[in-house]
Amino acid sequence: MEKTLVDFVKVLRTAEVQVSPAETLDAMSALPIVGYEDRTLFKNALSILLSKNPEEKEAFDTCFDRFFTAEDLQSLSDAGDFFDPSQFDDEGSEGFDESSEQKQSGGDRSQRGQGGGGGGGASEEAEAQSDDAFDDSMQPASALGQLLLNGSRSEQMVALAEAGREAEVNQIVVFTQKGLYTRKIMEAMGLKGLQEEISELQQAGGQPRLGLAGRLKRARDLLRDQVRDYVERQFLLHADEHGKQLREELLKKVKLSNLEKRNFKDVQEIVFKMAKKLIAIHSKRRKTYRRGQIDIRKTLRKNMQYDGNLFDLRWKSSKVDRPKVMCICDCSGSVSNYSRFLLMFLYSLAEIIPKVRSFAFSSDLGEVTDIFQRSNLEDAMAKTMRDYGNGSTDYGQMLMDFKRRCMDDVNNKTTIIILGDARNNYGDPKSEILREMYEKSKRVIWLNPEPRSNWTVGDAEMKKYAPNCHQTEVCNSLTHLERVVANLLKYTV
Amino acid sequence: MPSHNAPFFSPGLIREPNIITKSHQGVRLSTQRAEKLATVEAISEGLASLNYISNLKISTAVFLAHHLDKPVLIEGPPGVGKTELAKSVAALLNMECVRLQCYEGLDESKAIYEWKYGKQLLYTQVLKETLGEILEGAKGLSESVAKLHEFGDVFFSEEFLEPRPLLKALKNQEGCVLLIDEVDKSDYEFESLLLEMLSDYQLSIPEIGTIQANPDHKPLVFLTSNNTREISDALKRRCLHLYIPFPDADLETAIVHARVPDVPMQLRDQLVAFVQALRDLDLKKVPAISETIDWAKTLLLLHSESLDQDLVRQTLNVILKFQEDIEAVEAELPMLTNKAIKRD
Repeated sequence: MEKTLVDFVKVLRTAEVQVSPAETLDAMSALPIVGYEDRTLFKNALSILLSKNPEEKEAFDTCFDRFFTAEDLQSLSDAGDFFDPSQFDDEGSEGFDESSEQKQSGGDRSQRGQGGGGGGGASEEAEAQSDDAFDDSMQPASALGQLLLNGSRSEQMVALAEAGREAEVNQIVVFTQKGLYTRKIMEAMGLKGLQEEISELQQAGGQPRLGLAGRLKRARDLLRDQVRDYVERQFLLHADEHGKQLREELLKKVKLSNLEKRNFKDVQEIVFKMAKKLIAIHSKRRKTYRRGQIDIRKTLRKNMQYDGNLFDLRWKSSKVDRPKVMCICDCSGSVSNYSRFLLMFLYSLAEIIPKVRSFAFSSDLGEVTDIFQRSNLEDAMAKTMRDYGNGSTDYGQMLMDFKRRCMDDVNNKTTIIILGDARNNYGDPKSEILREMYEKSKRVIWLNPEPRSNWTVGDAEMKKYAPNCHQTEVCNSLTHLERVVANLLKYTV
Repeated sequence: MPSHNAPFFSPGLIREPNIITKSHQGVRLSTQRAEKLATVEAISEGLASLNYISNLKISTAVFLAHHLDKPVLIEGPPGVGKTELAKSVAALLNMECVRLQCYEGLDESKAIYEWKYGKQLLYTQVLKETLGEILEGAKGLSESVAKLHEFGDVFFSEEFLEPRPLLKALKNQEGCVLLIDEVDKSDYEFESLLLEMLSDYQLSIPEIGTIQANPDHKPLVFLTSNNTREISDALKRRCLHLYIPFPDADLETAIVHARVPDVPMQLRDQLVAFVQALRDLDLKKVPAISETIDWAKTLLLLHSESLDQDLVRQTLNVILKFQEDIEAVEAELPMLTNKAIKRD
């Protein structure tokens, strides 16, 4: 049972349920207490022990149902420690419950465990024999044929698992590969020899030979079904989530402007994940502050050496330096996607940077902070795009608006992030205002989705803006975005 | 007795001498408790007798917490009975419930222990006055220092220790329920402070040493969280994790029945159906079980037999706590009420 549990944990981990070894040990120690006779109890107990937030609980439920089918648990409790499926199949017990035949032979399993193939394949043979009367004098010549007709079920499973390993079935990534892997496994098990033997037998003709050919054929088809089920299982366990991970990796690198609408949901998930990581890294940073409450304990300790006269005071309070971020986003056509995800990122970080003020513009600047605070991300995003998304970009106007509206709020703790391609349609860039912002604020960061080589081409004004920024960055994928935000946190939190 | 590894304890400070009676009592208590926690069903029944209607998951969590000696982290929306569970378990096992309410800025001096500074200062002064007597006959500095050492260090000892909830729970020899409420409201530092307590049931006080819980009666620890922020992995890893969602209609009916038994059956079904429907709407704060119970009590006071639109409109402020929610629901009130009434 332990091995099966470890396999189950492995599957949970691919499904993005973070299970630490310590938790696995906890689960092991819980096993003797809860037992596995009561499926609900067993499931609830494992769920409480292994999955630690609502999303993980959901993933856990699907994994559990997939991994421990009803028969599995039944057979585990029937055979107890005596029969451990994973000793035959290191991928777990999943190979053991698919065919109906298993139920028939379930009863004599313990016997088989002792006798090593004594009653093996009984049901298959019995079936075949009923057709062919007493004609088992004829024995198949190929290895696979012998295995199928005479080998025990556990031997067959070992062969299947070995062939699976040879075919590297746990590398399966997409569902279209199912057929390929089924064939690979069949071949690895010696399908070719079997096929040749069948056709030879058929050509030779005669009662015993034809009978044997028929039995072999039936066994082969049964095997094919089993292999297909096996591959299916492996796919569900390994690939479904791997495929997702692969997609995530790709999405992180793809240019944000090339994203299609159907990917938005995935991307949003990734952004939240990234934000969570950043929160975990940065939220602990606090400055000790030399004011506020006296730490009496420390003070007493410190002043004991001065005969208990308290003159060297110690303070206990620490101060969280909450940064102020102002984010100005270009919402015109080409750049709007970038703005969308930058804003999404910043608002996902509300826990550590609570004071984000955001502005959107294409020509006129407008503050959208309220929209984001009041409604959820998606609605806010849609509203912003609707209200500010149209019109030709005018960076000069934007800077003038900014100066008029909130230059007074900028102080030496403010970080200003401007996201845009700086394509000003040959208007007046007004870079002197940016200079002013540069001098008043803590940092001005300009994020440009275009590659650096295009920054000075055409109507782009980056050449004039860049010297008035503390930092300029190319930013056109989630990975870039993550790096920029991480940097931001490093300097501001 | 506690196995305090207190290196510089003065002998007079070791606990009162009623060890034997205590341990006898302890055995009796522990068998009683073991019976009540023997199976998941027993727990469910026990809690139900205290008017706490649990589901299988909740009972399993309590069961595992007892048998694995692990703390339980309870998460879920506000008002589903997270705190109530800890209190009910304490009542079930007839144990003291020590509660620690978390908030931003909570630190060890409020959660674990604090020195009694005033007394400590007085003690040093007393010591100063009696110093002459102690050092009588000592020649030279080294001898005086040796004599001082013999005298024993009481300055940092349990005598001057003011136990706070965590330490209190740990020192409770008969076992108790420790409820650490809304742990998500505390700071990250405080979480790490909890780790030692949660994994080993011990606390380290630098000046004294490590204080351990009675190994036969470890406190049963419940932590609750409203998910205002993510709890650190280190903390989660040490806990069993129980998520209590909003209950389904049957469970909620059972809860209302247990808590407000006088409500007529028809009204009970209707109001539960109504609240269940409300939870599907897009509201700022959806009504929780506690609100359902309050509503049931309200309707009982108004002597109503069944729901109708006017009644719902007048009492809507009991279940909805935001004006905008009330306005949003009022528009759909006829539809919702009809649905709730028709259901049975």
